[in-house]
This record gives sequence, structure tokens and C-alpha cells, in this order.
Amino acid sequence: MPHDLASLWRRLEDIVGNSHMDADPESTSAFAVDGLVPSLTVRPGTQDEVAEVVSACAAEGAALVPWGGGTAMGTGNRPERVDVVVRLDRLDRIVEFDPDNLCVTVEAGMPLARLQELIAEKKVLLPLDPPDGARVTVGGLVAANLSGPRRLQHGTIRDWVLGMRVVLPDGERIRCGGRVIKNVSGYDMNKLFIRSFGTLGIVTEVTVKLLPMPAAQASVMGLFPDLSGAAAVVEKVLASFLLPEALDLLDPGALDLLAPALGHGATGGFALVAGFTGSREVVARQVRDMEVLIAEWGGTTHLFQEADSVRAWAAITDVFRALPEDPLRVLCTMAVPIGRTAGTMASVRVRAAEQGLTATLSAHAGSGILRAAFRPTHGSSGEGAIPGMAAAIEILRGEAAAVGGSLVIQEASPRLKERIDAWGRPGSGFATMRRIKVEFDPQRVCSPGRFLGGI
Amino acid sequence: MAQSVLVEDLRQVVGEANVLNTPVHLQLYQYDAYLEERRPDVVVFAHSTEEVVGIIKVCNAHGVPFVPRGGGTNLSGGTIPFKGGVVIEMIRMNRLLEVDQRSLRARVQPGMFNLELGNALALLGYQFLPDPASQKAATLGGNVAENSGGPHCFKYGVTTNHVVGLTVVLPDGEIAEFGGMAPDAPGYDLTGVFVGSEGTFGVCTEVVVRIVRMPEGVKTMLAIYDSIERGSETVSAIVAAGMVPATLEMMDQLVIQAVEQSIHCGLPVDCATVLIIEIDGLKDDLEAQSEAIVRLCMEHGAREVRVAKNEGERALLWAGRRGAFGAVARLSPSYLVCDGTVPRTALPTVLKKVAEVGEKYDLKIPNVFHAGDGNLHPLILFDWRNAEQKARVMKAGMEILALCVELGGTISGEHGVGLEKMDSLRLVLSEADIRSQLRVKRAFDPKDLANPGKIFPAPLEVVGAS
Ligand SMILES: Cc1cc2nc3c(=O)[nH]c(=O)nc-3n(C[C@H](O)[C@H](O)[C@H](O)COP(=O)(O)OP(=O)(O)OC[C@H]3O[C@@H](n4cnc5c(N)ncnc54)[C@H](O)[C@@H]3O)c2cc1C
Repeated sequence: MPHDLASLWRRLEDIVGNSHMDADPESTSAFAVDGLVPSLTVRPGTQDEVAEVVSACAAEGAALVPWGGGTAMGTGNRPERVDVVVRLDRLDRIVEFDPDNLCVTVEAGMPLARLQELIAEKKVLLPLDPPDGARVTVGGLVAANLSGPRRLQHGTIRDWVLGMRVVLPDGERIRCGGRVIKNVSGYDMNKLFIRSFGTLGIVTEVTVKLLPMPAAQASVMGLFPDLSGAAAVVEKVLASFLLPEALDLLDPGALDLLAPALGHGATGGFALVAGFTGSREVVARQVRDMEVLIAEWGGTTHLFQEADSVRAWAAITDVFRALPEDPLRVLCTMAVPIGRTAGTMASVRVRAAEQGLTATLSAHAGSGILRAAFRPTHGSSGEGAIPGMAAAIEILRGEAAAVGGSLVIQEASPRLKERIDAWGRPGSGFATMRRIKVEFDPQRVCSPGRFLGGI
Repeated sequence: MAQSVLVEDLRQVVGEANVLNTPVHLQLYQYDAYLEERRPDVVVFAHSTEEVVGIIKVCNAHGVPFVPRGGGTNLSGGTIPFKGGVVIEMIRMNRLLEVDQRSLRARVQPGMFNLELGNALALLGYQFLPDPASQKAATLGGNVAENSGGPHCFKYGVTTNHVVGLTVVLPDGEIAEFGGMAPDAPGYDLTGVFVGSEGTFGVCTEVVVRIVRMPEGVKTMLAIYDSIERGSETVSAIVAAGMVPATLEMMDQLVIQAVEQSIHCGLPVDCATVLIIEIDGLKDDLEAQSEAIVRLCMEHGAREVRVAKNEGERALLWAGRRGAFGAVARLSPSYLVCDGTVPRTALPTVLKKVAEVGEKYDLKIPNVFHAGDGNLHPLILFDWRNAEQKARVMKAGMEILALCVELGGTISGEHGVGLEKMDSLRLVLSEADIRSQLRVKRAFDPKDLANPGKIFPAPLEVVGAS
């Protein structure tokens, strides 16, 4: 708790005005982080106000959590404290759009989907596609380094940020990078704040590179009776000249969830979906090659052109949204070396079944990322199932660790999080990470306890 | 004397033959490709991560600083042992440890030359995309520490976009792994933070890099102009047309003439500028793309556009571009390489202003630039024996950087701050920015042993007091 809630309220009121604050439990509960309801929420309207809000929290001994679209608030450990949630939804302006130089500067609360709409008229885009794209804000994309299928060709937001402005935990405002595509004037501070999950301050403004819109797009889905055929095609594609923008592997569970959207009916098998963009010639050639490869490895092909392709990817990206609600459900991301993706999918399925869990898996097969949903197979939905779930997840984490990878919990009930660390055990780089946190946030004002190793 | 104990302790770690401390040897390590010199106390060759640990522990025990060194080709004084101490020469750690084609990654020791890695991967049909013009003599460790660029950045990004893991010996002698073969390791992105840290965060002893398949097709074009402005306008026009070439490089007349004298690659010595354009990818649309580009060049006033017909012609064009810095060395005893960057559309303006700076200070300034990236390298010619001229050069260099900043750019695109640009850092960073960067430095190196005295200017209070 802050030392004195009333005094904190007064200070914040002076900054943003009381119409942009809320302490009513009815509404603040919507901003709970892992079950911790903040004492109040505050909505600064400018970057300067963010800095003043952070200073005020620091002065009053309050812990704050920045909140963009809220789509990644389930990620990580339960924070030590959440006194104030700083909502960034009023910071939603374009600061500067420079299509000729292929870059745009926006405030952190700008929703990604809105940004794409606004810049589309100039035929440019930010080629990133995290889940829940309509709600994700640019700041959230940065803070959580969210990614989607297109990371195969376009990397993650790390590869697109040119610069940003950040409010540090003591309220000081800094700039990182700039607006040019090559910049080594001092340390690359952008990288420090990307994927820092609100533990080093609040990102208030971001400048990103953009890409010209491609002329054409299409996707090919191959349906396979088993994983080995699909996995063989992944390997062939990655070793070929083809340049798919995305290459996702779906297990039978994920494929079932997508049946209504992709219109393939129930198959019980696996699917590989490859997305291509570029000139018409290049897209057509790749579609042809892909169809041949899929057939060679015993798959049947489905083609999605243009708008259908866009819809197919939207569905795949948000595949877990179609999952039935289940309080015991755990969403995880596993990251492994690219060449181990399909193998990990196979071994996780086996291990999960052994542990009495049903797994639903969808992988960015050319990027080494598996997204997984686990729930108990037999309706033992009571709290009693939690210790077993926690133990099972640790075993699955071992599958990733065995190939040098990680398993991170994206969403789980607070009860489960009490029993398992969302990030896993820190490695040898951790001592430096902890010193960085202490240097930047000695008072533990920003999202304390949420990140790796209790940072 | 303490000095000899230091040398003795280092010999214990790496053996006598790997420690150099005679005046002649030390003299060889007192300079790099920048203009300042400072002699180290001792030079040590490292052969393994464990040896680097041993060396750094000795440095800690003696409280002496250390400076990692690769090829010594950096242009900002990054390897000058500003406060004396130990130079750790990494060049012997030059093995390619692993190529995992299925995972599109390679594990490399930092002393390997960029070109050697490129050649080894090419045999397998793969490439490491960052390819600085110095790639024959620059090491991976140096590339990492400087976050080097190269002529393919416009499409493929710089070193940081291709380095996914590092093994680092921290300044206290502890070994840390950042990132690795698997993506998205939990925790802060210390790989990303280390890249570009100019040897001030410790010594990297292993690098995991992204490798990519060689493209199916490549087309290289040379557009020849009688006006440098028309050339740089073409660059913006190509981008505005929605194309993303791998390369958009320019050289001006003085550079072309120097290159022709030394390499004879058939460039027209009477033109104002040449623009080298390379597109790559699947074969299917390269022809159409190159036709579109040729058209754009002609529309923007190119005198002629040549398309390389075969690998030989392409290699010749590249030899000319890669040899540019070397060739310019024929024009005068020394030159200062500026490394400013501006938003691409500001190129014509900045080029005009650079020419004005040359006139104002009565200096010749040939120009080579990564036009697609807005990264320009005005090369200010001078004679180092002429102190008055050198002073003018420094002023002109500073003015050019200030121009870049004014136009929305920055003071270094790829060569780093080192010793060279400490004084211009305040053109782009506020005091708060600098303080925040020093916090990161303290987290990595609380005792300030790793390459001290670089990057950051003295705090303002101290400057005022002296
Ligand atoms: C002719 C010429 C052309 C050039 N062209 C380009 C170009 O096109 N693009 C570009 O970006 N640069 C270019 N450069 C600059 C230079 O080549 C690059 O900065 C290069 O990456 C430096 O590599 P190096 O091995 O020579 O490093 P060094 O000069 O030895 O060291 C550079 C920095 O890296 C640190 N360092 C070296 N090894 C390690 C290690 N293992 N761990 C930690 N720190 C380490 C050093 O302490 C120093 O601060 C050019 C230079 C020349 C002379």
C-alpha cells in the first residue's frame, strides 16, 4: 500500500484531474493484475503527465503498473504490489507520420490496428501481427515484445523500433534512439526497454520503421494425417529459396478450433499454413512450389487468396480465443531452436497426455515459437487439480529446456501462479539484469516482482 | 614493480608467448583506424573463454583496465587504451563452432573475420547479412561491439538484427550467456543491449548469429549521373515506388576518380556520382523490378544505367565500392571519416551543405554513402603533419555532424562514438539520457575496468570547474 492513499489521490488529481481517475472497486477490478486489484487507476493525457504521475507514485511509495491494451497483463509472475494502474489509452496520437522516410512516431497508447488503418492510405504498414491485434497498443507491443506468424520474415518489434521516449521510475524522461535507420550514438537503449514488461519505466512514445505494402498475398494450407509430413515440408521450405512470410504448424486441437474459420472440416490431422506476400509473380511462384511440396509429402492443399488469406491468418493468430472458457486453462509460449519446433510439438503432446493434460498447440514453425494451451483432460476442474497442473507444466518446461529453450506462462489462474514461476529459473545473465533493475528502479516503483527472478 | 607482477600474472594465464610487452610490440597496439594513439601497458592474446576469464580476473586483482581488440579497424578510437592497461587481442579465437542449418543459426568465435564467416557459409549456400566494407579485416567481435552496418542494411538491417546470442565475460570475470540458439530467452534483452556497447560491457567470447539462405537471384545496377542531387532523389523515388532494394550506395566524383586509379573497375571518371543498386530474392520478378528501377533512374536524370550481366561484372562493381575508403587514402596523407545519418529524404540537402562546409574551411571532402540508410561518409582530406589544417578538419567534421542532427539525424550511423565523438554526443543526448546510459554501464561494470574513458563526455559540472 502507498503510505497515504488520500495524499496520493490529491497529488494525482492535481496532475490529471479527477475525471481521469478512478478508485471505485467496481471499475478498478477490471484492472486487476493476477487478482491484485489496484487502489486506483489514473489516465494521464500527455507524456509530461505520465512523468508527473510516476514521480508522484515514487514520492508516495506507491507501486504502479502501466496498462496499454491489457492483452499481455496475464504474462509473468504475480506482482508484489499493485497500487496504481497507469492507463495509457489517452496517449493515442500520431506524433509524426513520415511516409517518404518509411517511419511513424506514435504515442504508446495507440492501438496497433488503428495505427495500421491510419497509415494504410499511404500504402505502408508495420508488418507485425501479435494476437489480439485490435486491442494491443504499440507500447504494449514494445513492452511485451509480442509477435505473431509474420515474425518469420519480419522479426519482432525489436527489429522495427528506431526510437522511443521513456519515463523512468524516478519520473525522469529520456529518449532512446532516434528516427534514422542506423544509429550507434551511445548505447542501444531501445533494446533495454523492449520486453522489459513495465519494470524499468513507462514507454510513452515509439518511432517505428514501416514497409511498403505488398502488391499481392496468398496462403497455402496443407492438411496432413500426421505430424511427420508437415514437419518434413517445414524443413524443405526453410532450406529452399522460398521466402514465406509466415509458416505455422497446427496440431489437431488447434485445427479443430479453426475449422469454422478455415472451412476444412474435421480432420484429426495436422496442418501447415504458409503465407506469401510480394509481387504477383513471386506470390504465384511460391504458391505453386508449396503445393507441389505438400503433395509430395502426402498432404492435401487449400488455397487462400488476398482477403481470404488475411482472414485465415487473423483466425490462426487468435486461435486460442476459440477455446472454451476454463478456469484451469494455462496458456504458454515455448521458444526453442527453429529446427526443434516440430520435434518439440511432438514431444509436448506425448508428455502432456502422460500428465493428464489436453494440449492445443500452434507453432510459428520457422521461428521456433510454440503457443500452447493446456487443461486437465478429465473434468477435475476443482482447485485440487492445481498442484498436479503445476508439476505437469514444470515437466513440459523441461522439454523446452532440454533443447536450450524456455517456457513462459502467458495466462494462468493466480492460484496456479503461486505454485509455479511464470518465467522459469534465471540463467547466468541474471546478475546483470538484477543490477540493471536496481540502477533504474531502486525503490521498486514499476511493476515490482512481475518479471524474471522476481525483478 | 607492479607492472612486472601484472605481466607475470598474465603469463600464468596464457603462457609467455602470448603476452607482449616490449616497446616495439606495444607501439603496434597503440593505434587503430582512427587518428589518436595511446600505448597499452601490455597486450595479451586470448584463446578461450577461460583464458579471458583468467585475464580479466588478473585485471581486477591489479585494478587495471582492459580493452578488447579484434581487427583494430574501427574508425572511432574504440580500441585505443585510453587509460592504459591490458589490450586483450581476440583474433586467435577465430573458429566457426557450429552451423545449424535447420535452425538457421551459426555459433562463431569473435576473432573470426566477417568475410571468413561469409565464405564458410557460402559453401553451404548461406550468408551472414551484415557485411561492412572492411569485412576482410574486421572481426565478428568488432562488428558486435560497434553494431556495424554495411551496404545491405537498407533491406536487412544492421548487426543487432542478426545477433541472437552472446557468451560474455563480464568485467568482474564472471561468464554470462545472453540469448542463444532459441529465441525470446526470458529476461531483459542483454544481447541487444551488449551489441553496440563498444567494448565497455566486457568481452564477448562467442556469438550466435542468424544465417539466411543465399538468394535465388541477384541483380546489380550502376546508375551514372551528372548531378549528385538527381542521384539522391532517385533513391527516394525507388523507395516511394514501394521497392526495397538490398543495396542503395553512392559515391561522388572524387571517390570515383580515386577508385578508378586504384582498382580500374570501369567507372566513368567524368560523372558527378554513381548509384549502385542491388536487388535480390526470387528470380521471378527480378527482371521486372530491375526494368522499373532503370526507368526510374532515367526519369530522374541518369546519364546511363548499366546492369551487371554476370558475376564478374557484379564483383567488379562491388570491388569499386568496397575499395572506396582505401582508394581515397591515395588522395591525401590522412582523412577524417564522418559518419552522420539523416532521414533519407534529407540527403540532397545535407550533401549541398557538406559541400558548403568544405568551401568554408577550404577542405576537400569526397563522399561515399549508404544512400538507402541516409548514412553519409564525407571523407575530409588533410595532412596530419599540418596542425592548423587538422584543427580546421575537426571543426568541419563537427559542423557536418551538427548539420545531420539539425536535419533530424544523428552523429554516428555505424562507426560508434569511441573517443572520436564523445564531445558531439551532447548534440543528440540530454543529460538525463546520458545519466540513464551510465546506469547501464554501472550495472555491467561497476569498477569501470572495461574500455574506460570512452563514449561519454565528462559530466558538465566537471567541465565547468576545470
Ligand atoms: C576501410 C574501412 C571500411 C569500413 N567500412 C565499414 C562499413 O561499411 N560499415 C561499418 O559499420 N563499419 C565499417 N568500418 C569500421 C570497422 O571496420 C567496424 O567498426 C568493424 O566492425 C570493427 O571490427 P574490428 O574487428 O576491427 O574491431 P576493433 O576495431 O578491433 O574493435 C572495435 C570495438 O570493438 C571492441 N571489441 C572488439 N572485439 C571485442 C570482443 N570480442 N568483445 C567485446 N568488445 C570487442 C573493441 O574494444 C572496440 O571498442 C570500416 C573501417 C575501415 C577501416
